[in-house]
Amino acid sequence: MKQLRARLADNPLASLVGVLIVLFVVTGAVQPGFFSLNGARNTLLQAAPLGILAAAQTVLMLTGGIDLSVTMIATGAAYIAANQSPNGAAAAIVMGLLVGLLIGSLNGAGVAVFRVNPLIMTLAMSGIVLGLFTAWTQTVLAGATQVAPLIKLLGGGAFLGIVPYSVLVWGGVSLLLIWLLRRSGWGRLIYAIGDNEVAVQLAGVRAWQVRLSAYALSGLLGAISGILLAGRTGAVDLQLAGAFLLPSVAAAVIGGTSIFGGVGGYAGTILGALILSVLNSLLTFLNVGQAIQQVVYGVIVLALAWGYASLTRRSAT
Amino acid sequence: MTGAEHPFGAARMQPFGRRVRVRNGWMVGVWLLLGALLLWYSTLIPVFGPFQITSISKNSLPLVYLAIGQAIIVIAGGIDLSLGALLLLSNVIAARFMDGQPVGVVVVIAIALIAALALLNALTGYVITLSGVPDIVVTLATSYIWSGLALWILPSPGGGTAPEMRWLFTGSTSGIGGSSWPPILMMLIPCAVIAIWARRTRQGLTLYAVGSNKTAARLSGLDVRRAKIVSYAIGGGMAALAGLATVAITGTGDPRFSVGTNATLNSVAAVVLGGIALTGGIGNPFGVVATAVILVMLNPILIAMGVNSNNAQVIQGVLIAGVMMVGGLVALLRERAS
Repeated sequence: MKQLRARLADNPLASLVGVLIVLFVVTGAVQPGFFSLNGARNTLLQAAPLGILAAAQTVLMLTGGIDLSVTMIATGAAYIAANQSPNGAAAAIVMGLLVGLLIGSLNGAGVAVFRVNPLIMTLAMSGIVLGLFTAWTQTVLAGATQVAPLIKLLGGGAFLGIVPYSVLVWGGVSLLLIWLLRRSGWGRLIYAIGDNEVAVQLAGVRAWQVRLSAYALSGLLGAISGILLAGRTGAVDLQLAGAFLLPSVAAAVIGGTSIFGGVGGYAGTILGALILSVLNSLLTFLNVGQAIQQVVYGVIVLALAWGYASLTRRSAT
Repeated sequence: MTGAEHPFGAARMQPFGRRVRVRNGWMVGVWLLLGALLLWYSTLIPVFGPFQITSISKNSLPLVYLAIGQAIIVIAGGIDLSLGALLLLSNVIAARFMDGQPVGVVVVIAIALIAALALLNALTGYVITLSGVPDIVVTLATSYIWSGLALWILPSPGGGTAPEMRWLFTGSTSGIGGSSWPPILMMLIPCAVIAIWARRTRQGLTLYAVGSNKTAARLSGLDVRRAKIVSYAIGGGMAALAGLATVAITGTGDPRFSVGTNATLNSVAAVVLGGIALTGGIGNPFGVVATAVILVMLNPILIAMGVNSNNAQVIQGVLIAGVMMVGGLVALLRERAS
């Protein structure tokens, strides 16, 4: 038993996999249809946009930051993509991504250059974007509610009818991000800044550039997620991504990324996003009503974070 | 923010006048800003009288309470994202159980609510110290739990409260118009008590010590765990008060999740704009009262200027980000100069 615990502590991701399997089995027991190909596909379809939003949070949390505007960025990008859809899907997607990049860069400028607290900067940005798009939906963006067929296919369709395209996109983003964080110099700087920014600066690195690029990347990831979400639902509205904000932070935290920076990685976040998505399916199948659903969700997120903390702390001491 | 604003240590070395100025400069500044805004607002609208004063003071009550609670928690080195959800919980419990009750029962429920939510949030603080999970994560999870409970207690908006309760927070038994003294006093008395407690008592200063350097505080014999739990208890009590004010102002309970989230985020914004550092240990809670009122006032001011409400939200965001950018720039220049 002691040995098992020590082994789990050395490899906390294994315990996350265990949690995921348990949740998966329980969900299957509640709803037998869940074990089918369809059930797995639906879970992954739910997990993909959440996983990509949580990727943004993971990168920023590694630098000691956070992005509370990422879901508004997603919504904004989806609107732009819908608005540009008559010009073709490619133009729509590129414009949507550019909008995400722009808003993310503005966040980055505020945080990295003007040293505004990330919580406040992204919170204010979220309000700005919400206000702008609420106004624009009545003027320049009026009528932009449907997205191009290709985007619908990307968000909701499946390759050969088996693997959803959004999951393929998520897979690509994951591979790239894990490679960037583990192997590239940029990734090392992300960890280093979260660990000790002063040391990074004294080593001659322009830390503000790395930080700014992280926020720009966060905006880009938010936009990808928003476009996929718009494709899945087929239409856009101002509440498109809002409900994913807290889960995106929770997925990164459950996955073992420290909110204070320097510790964690995207592999854990992927598991976190999957766990939250399966949990969501389970609570939906149980049909307990939204109130109990929220309570159980909160309790389980707290329990997972607590368990993870006690597991990894034991290994540290 | 430099070490000079610190309640202990380096500040002792500086001349008294400068110390007072540096310590209270930001707080005086935001109160002056509030005064200027009020003056400006009075020239913007055709009639500015007791009705407007009542309206501004009563509408700011929930955010002021929530922001003061958040300020105390942030000063002690934490942050509580569940305060808005606690507001919801207090609001719906009050609306559901106070509806149609005589004033005696209503008062008992109100006091019990404040005590219960203080206890509940103290428990959150205890869980944080026990688990070692960061504040932001624990309170994120509890925010789901409390808002779920709120939805369970009151599935759809409704309920009510006693006219006396409404008078206490709004100055009128119907919640419309009325005297401006009850809301102003209800704003200033609890806030003054907490601000003075935080700045002038041993337990209050303990929160500053723990917030600025946990290890140093522990090594000098302070009870770090207790400080955290006490700060969360105060936050919970203030959130309960905010919920009571909400039911008094609106006359109903509203369990919508987004109401709680917005309230939480606004409380954090008010705290930061009020000169309290999110890193803990720095700032005067009394300044937060002014910034909370300013945040509530911005909307009517912008609308009085002829800005539509969506653009008003944009301008509010730009102002918050802009103020913080200027603050960051000033700190940067000061750093370069020294």
